[in-house]
Amino acid sequence: MQLTLNVLVAASTLALMAVGFGLIFSTTRFFHFAHAVVYTGAAYLTYCGSVQLGLPLVIAVLLGVAGGVCLGGLMEVGLYRPMRGRSASALTLLIASLGTYVVLQNLVSMTWGDDVRMLQSSTVREGIEILGGRITPTSVLAIAVCVALLAVVTLVLRRTGLGRAMRAVADDAELARIRGIRADRVILATFAIGSALAAVAGILVALDVNMRPTMGMNALMLAIVAVIIGGVSSIGGIALGSLFLAAAQQVAIWQLGSQWQDAVAFAILLVFLLARPQGLFGKPLRKVAV
Amino acid sequence: MDDGNAKLLNVDGLVTGYGKKQVVNGVGLDVEPGEIVALIGHNGAGKSTLLKAIFGLLPVWEGSVFLDGKQLESPTPRELLRFGVAFVPQGNRVFTDLSVRENLEMGGVTLRDKRELNEGIERVFTLFPAIKPRLRQRAGTLSGGEKQMLALANALVLNPRVLLLDEPSLGLAPPLVSEALGRIREIAEDKRVAVLIVEQKVREVLRIAQRVYVLRNGLVSFSGLSESLTDEATLREVYL
Repeated sequence: MQLTLNVLVAASTLALMAVGFGLIFSTTRFFHFAHAVVYTGAAYLTYCGSVQLGLPLVIAVLLGVAGGVCLGGLMEVGLYRPMRGRSASALTLLIASLGTYVVLQNLVSMTWGDDVRMLQSSTVREGIEILGGRITPTSVLAIAVCVALLAVVTLVLRRTGLGRAMRAVADDAELARIRGIRADRVILATFAIGSALAAVAGILVALDVNMRPTMGMNALMLAIVAVIIGGVSSIGGIALGSLFLAAAQQVAIWQLGSQWQDAVAFAILLVFLLARPQGLFGKPLRKVAV
Repeated sequence: MDDGNAKLLNVDGLVTGYGKKQVVNGVGLDVEPGEIVALIGHNGAGKSTLLKAIFGLLPVWEGSVFLDGKQLESPTPRELLRFGVAFVPQGNRVFTDLSVRENLEMGGVTLRDKRELNEGIERVFTLFPAIKPRLRQRAGTLSGGEKQMLALANALVLNPRVLLLDEPSLGLAPPLVSEALGRIREIAEDKRVAVLIVEQKVREVLRIAQRVYVLRNGLVSFSGLSESLTDEATLREVYL
């Protein structure tokens, strides 16, 4: 039971990160590595608000999420959009994104230091007992928030005009423009939603465990594995991919020791890339239709 | 351009291209309501590029596009759609991950009024009854001919005044080609739509077009009535 709870907790924040990354990837077709720093930045902004400025935690969390959304949006408007305007390739965008990540991660290090920081300084809490396993209230919150947010995002994608436009741009961006969609706005909205998910994930992890400047990249790497396992194009697939990956990692920690968890994750990635690159539920990535 | 008898679509001295490469070197043409005008020429002559520039997908470097005598400053697809110009790009593209119904909704996405959208979709059903039973199906699962129908139907949701078509016959089986072109003629005649059509199937398109422009190296090398090209010898002369 404890194992199941651990899997759920790990999978929930992983799924938020992965769905955010997947949404951005499917509309823009490039690896937005700087997504990692949205996760980190939101956690540190919350830390700044809550611990350093002494704001109420709820306000600090909202500040962190808003900061994360602004950060992701600014990257799109200030960096990716002008580059797309000059028809930069996906590789160029990836490198620019990686560069942005490095700069901003170092900025976080310089501002707050490389030490581990805690949002909740209280002593180790007991946790509540559920069916023989122990779980902290924060972890329960993390699972609930994750399920709720994924449901909301699914509804937005399936039921709203914005969601339909997002799927259309992901499907064929030029055709979307031909139909009169302002693709740039749709992409910005995608960045905002994806960044909000990353920010929430980062803050939840910071609340539940702790934070360090490199936390974002670790989370993003796992998220990318989850996206590849689940298949890029479906939220349900990505959620199941996250669950599967989290389960594999927790089993690895339990059986082999915690130093093996990342090795197991990337071994799974390799297996999928070789055997089923489209993921469990995804379709093969299409090239532009002729 | 207020000369009293302004054409519905009028292009004057248009120059455009991709990046730094100039492809269209100053083309003028016009289309009137109910008229089908064919744009033919070899690969790389600049036909598709010209259509994209007219529709605002590529920047117009020089020259201008007039709609109803009004010059468009820097046209965007949205602006042209609002005026009633619709574009069907090459390859009968549809949103493969969206349902047929969602595809049609995207066709009318610039309409502000929901009722207008539903009317548009209903109108399309009368032209393409075969689409109606497939509304919930993913568009990616349609056959080639059905996709072509849907691509055209998408553009008609708006009830356009001008239709820009880029090789609607591409990838269609031969019997479907004349069917598709026949339908385009019906649309032009019944709805008084001005149609500018790029086509590689020259003989077939000359049968439905009233007038024709031949493009060569980004310039108009011939323009005139379709009949003047129907005999083999003249066609070969201007085309080859």
